[in-house]
Amino acid sequence: MLLVFTVAMRFYFNIAIKFFMTITLSHIVPLPIAEKVLSRHSDVWNQEVNLQPGEWIKVKAPSGTGKTTLVHVLWQIRKDYKGQVLYASKPAQDILPEAMAQIRQEKLSVVFQDLRLFGQLTALENIELKRRMSPTPYYPAEKVQAMAEHLGVAHVLHQQAATCSYGEQQRIAIIRALMQPFEWLIMDEPFSHLDIANTAKAAALIAEECKKRNAGLLITDLDEDTHFPYTRYLNL
Amino acid sequence: MAKTLELRSLLQKLIRAGIGKFRFLMATVGMGVAVLFILLAVQTFMNFNELLHGSNNENETADFLVINKQITGARQGKKELSAFSKAEIDSLQQQAFVQKLGLLTASNFGVNVSSYSDAIPFYSDAYFESVPDEFIDVQSESWKWEPGQKDLPVIIPTFFIDLYNTGMAMSQQNLPQLSLEALMVIPLKVKVHGNGGEAEMVGHIVGSSDRLNSILIPESFMQWANKTYGYARAPLNSRVVIKTNDPSDPKLVKYLEDRSWKTNTDKTRFSRIRVIVNWIVGIVGGIGLVMLLFGMLVFSLFIQLTIASSRNDIELLKTLGISPDLLRQFLMRQFMPVNGIVLVVVLAVLSALQWILHKVLATQQMFISPWLSPATIAATVLVLLFIWLTNRSTVKRYLKN
Repeated sequence: MLLVFTVAMRFYFNIAIKFFMTITLSHIVPLPIAEKVLSRHSDVWNQEVNLQPGEWIKVKAPSGTGKTTLVHVLWQIRKDYKGQVLYASKPAQDILPEAMAQIRQEKLSVVFQDLRLFGQLTALENIELKRRMSPTPYYPAEKVQAMAEHLGVAHVLHQQAATCSYGEQQRIAIIRALMQPFEWLIMDEPFSHLDIANTAKAAALIAEECKKRNAGLLITDLDEDTHFPYTRYLNL
Repeated sequence: MAKTLELRSLLQKLIRAGIGKFRFLMATVGMGVAVLFILLAVQTFMNFNELLHGSNNENETADFLVINKQITGARQGKKELSAFSKAEIDSLQQQAFVQKLGLLTASNFGVNVSSYSDAIPFYSDAYFESVPDEFIDVQSESWKWEPGQKDLPVIIPTFFIDLYNTGMAMSQQNLPQLSLEALMVIPLKVKVHGNGGEAEMVGHIVGSSDRLNSILIPESFMQWANKTYGYARAPLNSRVVIKTNDPSDPKLVKYLEDRSWKTNTDKTRFSRIRVIVNWIVGIVGGIGLVMLLFGMLVFSLFIQLTIASSRNDIELLKTLGISPDLLRQFLMRQFMPVNGIVLVVVLAVLSALQWILHKVLATQQMFISPWLSPATIAATVLVLLFIWLTNRSTVKRYLKN
């Protein structure tokens, strides 16, 4: 029974892949900071927000307004909120783990603020783990080397991730996020540890990869920036 | 290089590092000891069972006991009192320790036995008893009698021959020692009489019995002779023979003692030791059970520990979008081969122990199988199944939340 359902779910998402996914935030209020977010105006919290396919969205947020919470809610690793997150009109809470894994392999990609690399693996192993997670990798292995050289982290590929600097880890996490197909790339302060030159290179690479996939982009950050030609600005 | 970057080997590196080599080793050893305890308990139980009940560890005659009532002052002179009543026989037959019961029927007529030969002259009054053939430990084709047959097969107790050869023949100058083979070719003049009639038969010794201390003739002859020459009253059964699994069964001994019935005491003497051994087996079994529970606890903790210690990595893998099915299969493959190896090693150790024990006990005339019992193998399969189920449910539980 469960198997039939799982197969049906896969089928459903395979069809859905043809129509790029709209992400809907329907009156989301994160419970731990509910009072705080309800006391001031927000474009996102407790609003009906549709993130349309292909939009490049900048979410500007002062410290403590739930920037990281928003990314975690979008990514569905936090579920302590009121309201609903909908992936292509389907409540994300109802999506089975297997189907959710497939979404994370094919439709959504992410760079967390805390990067979330496996410290005990090398930088290359971290990237390869993601690249090979899908049975048919999106990019060949050579692409990793090319991107690493482009972002100036080729020399740390064989180094344990835990021993890399934050700046290096940040670029490794960005390369990891670009190793898969996606319709949405979600990034939480992705350039916080990079200097201006490296930020420009990374942003250019990200923009190029998003265009290639006709993908939407959602970046949260403290301040305004001109790294990308945003189509929409939201204040958290 | 390329191979080490395979998803499987990456996951392996990740999980192994998460668990830690030392902890993994300790947990594996812990589980090995636990499984060893469990299987050792089963095997020990089976060994005890074999020692106590196995056919190799009892001699053939030990299975049969001849029971009679003790002749006391009160019973003296009243033959009816020393015979078993129907109620007594029925009650005995219903006891759990009695597998089969046979009545020894005594002759109800006069018997004289004498020699045809002058070389070994003898004459004696005698008696016969008969018992169902299934209780007789002598195999002979001539053990049968039909009405009209002159030849009468006879079985004598082995101790009779020993008594004669080592006592009688030694003390009398003109008596030769005789082997059973020699006795078997000497014809005996057997006269039966009573009830006003008389008949002469030619007796042949067809064998000697270790089990039954009596002079036996076939039941068919006994019936015929009792009917023809017997006194008016029905023959009395003063002895019964029982087949029992375990002549030292304390219940049997108590049953006989309560009624002042007698049997071959050397066979039941072991009973007191048996009570002690039963206690020891009970204690060993109790310890085995505790070991079993302890073992189960240790290895379910082992599985939880190994998975719990890589919990953060599993969590992150899920966050990154690894397929839960793939991860579950991978984790099962991480633990099951180790468990399999542990089981094989434990079985090897147990087999070696069993073989050594077999050798050592054999020098003490105690026999156990040199191989592990089927029950132990079955227990191994059950343990493997249990490990697999525990693994699966633990992996599932950790993948869920």
